[in-house]
Amino acid sequence: MNPNNYQVLVVEDDAQILKFICYLLDNEGLSYITAGSGQAALSKLVSEYIDVVLLDLGLPDFDGMDVIKKVREWSDMPIIVVSARDQDKEKAAALDSGADDYLTKPFSATELLARIRVALRHISKQGNQAARAVLSVGDLQLDLEKRLVYLDGAELHMTPMEYNLLALLFKNVGKVLTTASIIKEIWGVGYGTDTQALRALMAGLRRKIEKNPAKPRYILTETGIGYRLVDE
Amino acid sequence: MKNVVDAKESSFKDIIKKDIIKNVILMIFLFVAASAIGYLFEHIGVDETNIVVVYLLAVLVTAWLTQSFLFGMLSSLLATFLFSYLFTEPYNAFAVNDPNYIITFIIMTIAALITSTLTYHAKLAAKNAQEKEAETKAIYNLTNHLTDAKNIHDIAGIAVKVISSCFSCKAACLCFDESGMPEQSFIQQVSDDNHVRRAIADIQEYKHKIDGMRTGFDEGNEFFDWPIYGSETTLGVIRIPKENAQNMNEAQNRLLRAMIESTALAMDRFRSSEQRMKSREEIVKERYRGNLLRAISHDLRTPLSGIIGTAEMLADMTKSEESQHSLAEDIRKEADWLHSLVENILNLTRLQDGSLTLKKQMEAVEEIIGGAVAHMAKRAPDYDIRVSMPDELILVPMDAKLIEQALINLLDNAVNHSNSEGEISITVIKNESARHVKFMVQDRGTGIAMSDLPHIFQMFYTSHPNHADARHGIGLGLAICETIVKAHGGNIAAKNRADGLGAEFTFTLPMEEQDEPE
Repeated sequence: MNPNNYQVLVVEDDAQILKFICYLLDNEGLSYITAGSGQAALSKLVSEYIDVVLLDLGLPDFDGMDVIKKVREWSDMPIIVVSARDQDKEKAAALDSGADDYLTKPFSATELLARIRVALRHISKQGNQAARAVLSVGDLQLDLEKRLVYLDGAELHMTPMEYNLLALLFKNVGKVLTTASIIKEIWGVGYGTDTQALRALMAGLRRKIEKNPAKPRYILTETGIGYRLVDE
Repeated sequence: MKNVVDAKESSFKDIIKKDIIKNVILMIFLFVAASAIGYLFEHIGVDETNIVVVYLLAVLVTAWLTQSFLFGMLSSLLATFLFSYLFTEPYNAFAVNDPNYIITFIIMTIAALITSTLTYHAKLAAKNAQEKEAETKAIYNLTNHLTDAKNIHDIAGIAVKVISSCFSCKAACLCFDESGMPEQSFIQQVSDDNHVRRAIADIQEYKHKIDGMRTGFDEGNEFFDWPIYGSETTLGVIRIPKENAQNMNEAQNRLLRAMIESTALAMDRFRSSEQRMKSREEIVKERYRGNLLRAISHDLRTPLSGIIGTAEMLADMTKSEESQHSLAEDIRKEADWLHSLVENILNLTRLQDGSLTLKKQMEAVEEIIGGAVAHMAKRAPDYDIRVSMPDELILVPMDAKLIEQALINLLDNAVNHSNSEGEISITVIKNESARHVKFMVQDRGTGIAMSDLPHIFQMFYTSHPNHADARHGIGLGLAICETIVKAHGGNIAAKNRADGLGAEFTFTLPMEEQDEPE
């Protein structure tokens, strides 16, 4: 996988941050285009070939959230939201309207690059994912056809709900799933927003796959937002 | 008190006595004059009927000029008797020879009675109208001036001025402040356009006296005090010298009460408009503060991400043994520290504003600990944090983000006060009987100095005050912990470890949702 094949769109209105991100992408050998406003971003998105979007939520012309919604109308390219807002509600809203990941300013270079790598890996996987029936992360394996889970090669017994939850996370590996979206997927739209059942289900699942649930290796908690299955 | 009442009554009697004497003299004079005219008429041979008319005129004038209805009645009878005594045969006696006169007497008496009654009522109505007019005028005068008032003391000054001129005395007014406490001094009228301040001796005692009052006004040794009642509290007191107050009649009393009522209305109106203005200002201020905080959070975070990122890049580009590498690392660390300072200040401001409302949900304790530990693993990768907690799932109602922040602050504190060899541990204990969960963060650092212990949760309190390179903290982390834990209805405590060196911080969170702490 040659990184030079990929093109990143950086939507950021702050010149300093933009410079820093571009430098970083250059260093990594990724090509990129930049946009300073939501309008510019949308026109670049339709005219250029873009693999990943790095999107600042606080744009001068309109809310970054609207950019996400517009893009999701015709494409499911990875969108990583970068924002100075620490309000969890806004992060969760961005993720729920289709963003794949988020970073809060200030973020570290390693973190940003790691997130971009995850997003790129997704694209490369997407092509052959349908063919793959067995997904794996670390020592954890999920057989989608047989509905079985293996840890270190040994089969784990899962309840149907636990399997559904793990499968959902596997299908979105590396992506942050908000609590609300998980509840909607597992329990259905009518269930409401009570998180208690999800916390209990997650605790049960973790006790089966994690050595120490308070220091999870596979399923990370994004406090106040949701969960993420690590992508190694 | 009784003496005062007696004095008042006796002076009242004096006035009545004087009035009676004056009226009697007036009546006697009028009837002597009427009799003289009667004699004159008889002498020149005018018909007796005219003498009757003259007497009736005397009755009318008496009823008009005297104060009491009694004098009208009395004069009616007196007229008949005098006529019978002086001008009918036999003269100088009350007997009559001609029975026709009896009819004359009866009709004359009835006519006199009716005349005096009508006159008395007409006079009373005229007097009432006059009083009413004066009253209306005075109140209009007062309210007219009150609308120009710029503050509560202006209102008091105007009220004092109008009341003083109306009752020709030197009235005074004491304003009460917003909390319902009397002010230090009265505003007293001394001349037409002059006010002076007169201090009162004991505010508490005075307030107590006014509050405990049962009658409409308070009778003091020198002054009478009328309280000004607003819609909610007492707004002030109008004070009038005793001698003026005692000599006021019913109408004047009524007028004074009406004036106090208008003053109360004006003061009330002023207070409520002041209140409205204040709350409007408060809202504006609140908005400014919110905007400022948002601006700070955005404008500091954005350049900080630039600094942190660039420093990190520089460090990556250089080899670890080069001096540039360590310089770049230093920049990153300092910027990181600055970042946590900004976050902490923002959090604390929002917490203390009350604008950061708790979003309590049932959360799994293990997830919160996991979040905090993962955060520390990024920030201080050299340190190993041991976690020990029961295997069962513990769900506690909390604002996950805030409790994670509290744990991070405690861990941060532990990292700052120990080196990377010393182990840091988090212990969670579920106390079923007390219905709370205990979180304990322990380190193997130097511990807490005894002199620091009582202040450790105070804002901006740091140990090592003489440390010039005060990288240890700015004294906000623990203050935030305390605020967060208290907001959840829990307790936080700090002590030194019993098993050797090191500090131990514990906080508890109730396992059940409880009412908001006060």
